[in-house]
Amino acid sequence: MAKFLKDINLKGKIAVVTGATKGIGRSTAIAMHQVGASIIAFGRNKNDLNSLKKKLKIRIKCIECDVNDYKKISKIIKNLNRIDILVNNAGTNLPEPFLKVKKSSLETLLDVNTKAAFNVAKLCTDKMLKLKIRKKIGGAIINTSSMFGLVAGPNRTVYSMTKFGIEGLTKGMAVDLAKYNIRVNSVCPTFVETPRAKKYLSNKAFKKYALSNIPLGRIATESDIATAITFLSSDASSMITGSSLIIDGGWTAK
Amino acid sequence: MFKKINLRSRTALVTGAGKGLGKACAIALAEAGAKVIIISRTLSDLTKVEKIIKKTKGSCLKFECDVTDLNKFKSILKKIKRLDILVNNAGTNRPEHFTKVKKKNMEYLVELNMKAAFNVAQLCTKKMVELKNRKKAGGSIINMSSQLGRVGAPLRSVYNMTKFGVEGLTRGMALELGKYNIRVNSVCPTFVETPMVKAFFKNKKFKQQMLDNIPLGRAAQENDVSTAVAFLAADSSNSITGTSLMVDGGWTAK
Repeated sequence: MAKFLKDINLKGKIAVVTGATKGIGRSTAIAMHQVGASIIAFGRNKNDLNSLKKKLKIRIKCIECDVNDYKKISKIIKNLNRIDILVNNAGTNLPEPFLKVKKSSLETLLDVNTKAAFNVAKLCTDKMLKLKIRKKIGGAIINTSSMFGLVAGPNRTVYSMTKFGIEGLTKGMAVDLAKYNIRVNSVCPTFVETPRAKKYLSNKAFKKYALSNIPLGRIATESDIATAITFLSSDASSMITGSSLIIDGGWTAK
Repeated sequence: MFKKINLRSRTALVTGAGKGLGKACAIALAEAGAKVIIISRTLSDLTKVEKIIKKTKGSCLKFECDVTDLNKFKSILKKIKRLDILVNNAGTNRPEHFTKVKKKNMEYLVELNMKAAFNVAQLCTKKMVELKNRKKAGGSIINMSSQLGRVGAPLRSVYNMTKFGVEGLTRGMALELGKYNIRVNSVCPTFVETPMVKAFFKNKKFKQQMLDNIPLGRAAQENDVSTAVAFLAADSSNSITGTSLMVDGGWTAK
């Protein structure tokens, strides 16, 4: 057995992944499943959930729900048997210049990226603490943040506001939950080849802006982010809490 | 989707590999399949590490060298064929109150933690870019920093200065080496149970202060750090560059 290289292994762990229908959430569910986790996938789109279920076959439970629906998620999470890991991933973006931000956009982003993220984290933590041996076996929460949780970008005032918020939430939760041996970290990706980012990147000027800001000269892949989240959710990272794993090809190092 | 930590067909050089974190990193990289070149001032320490690596059927080359001896280090690099990974680890600490820091201690820490770290990184990078398909194969450099590369602590003004310096070096190198697909990151551990730190722990007051500052309530183990280093060395962290992986149990989240 390896002594100094800890295995990234999630056998016997139950992981909730929100926003699991597409992009980073879906890939993370697949990656964590690959190393043994049982997945509880939350998403709004039934067809996408079915496709994930078909792909993973076993150790997968899909729950169709909107994380904004507090009553519903509260009931669903309370009825789950057990949670060891939360990938708090559901989120969105509505890029607009600061002076043109619609009231409705502001509210949507605060609802999804901030309030729902907080509520899901709290509900899942409550459930995680139901397990008597939690302190012994530990737990992990990974909030999907963004490099725009650390620096600003054009047309992203609201998104940055919400993702900087997630960075704060991550650190605060880490400090409060350490005594239960629940670790809380965030991942901060640059632009990733997700369905949503692909839309932005189909604009040539935008793609040039993105690539010229990434020293590695490439867009991140879903697998890059899924692997990082899987690492943070496993005991391989058992001393890492309250931190942000930045997966940005060097964007924020500048 | 999940990218395993796999270093087969990679050659890694580790400085300060005789003891503590360097030793742990060398063994972890070997466990992940890398050929490892271990460097230390003390040959007897290297022999022990070599034995451990060979026992697990790893491949290992050892060189006795003080990394502040630039010429000797250069001559070692001439003897090796190829280099893909550097764990730039050699470093030390001499805790003293700021008003009482001895000139020779300040100079020694700057010499080893900064100047030698820079020189080793520069020489190894030159070696790495000799490979024609470097851009395709990629490379990875991990600088051993510290949580004290991010926040201050009593009696550590000089150590703080040198490790904040390593953080700056990491970001600067990441920007310039992105075009060769060489990623550069640091790891920032809290206090780890190494021989160096165990000596500090004999002071009970120090140990209590330390634990009070780590939300997870425990010191890090060597394999927490070596696993993080292996993650950064491998393609598992393909889009991660110019960042610091905090392995601090939440110390800097406060």
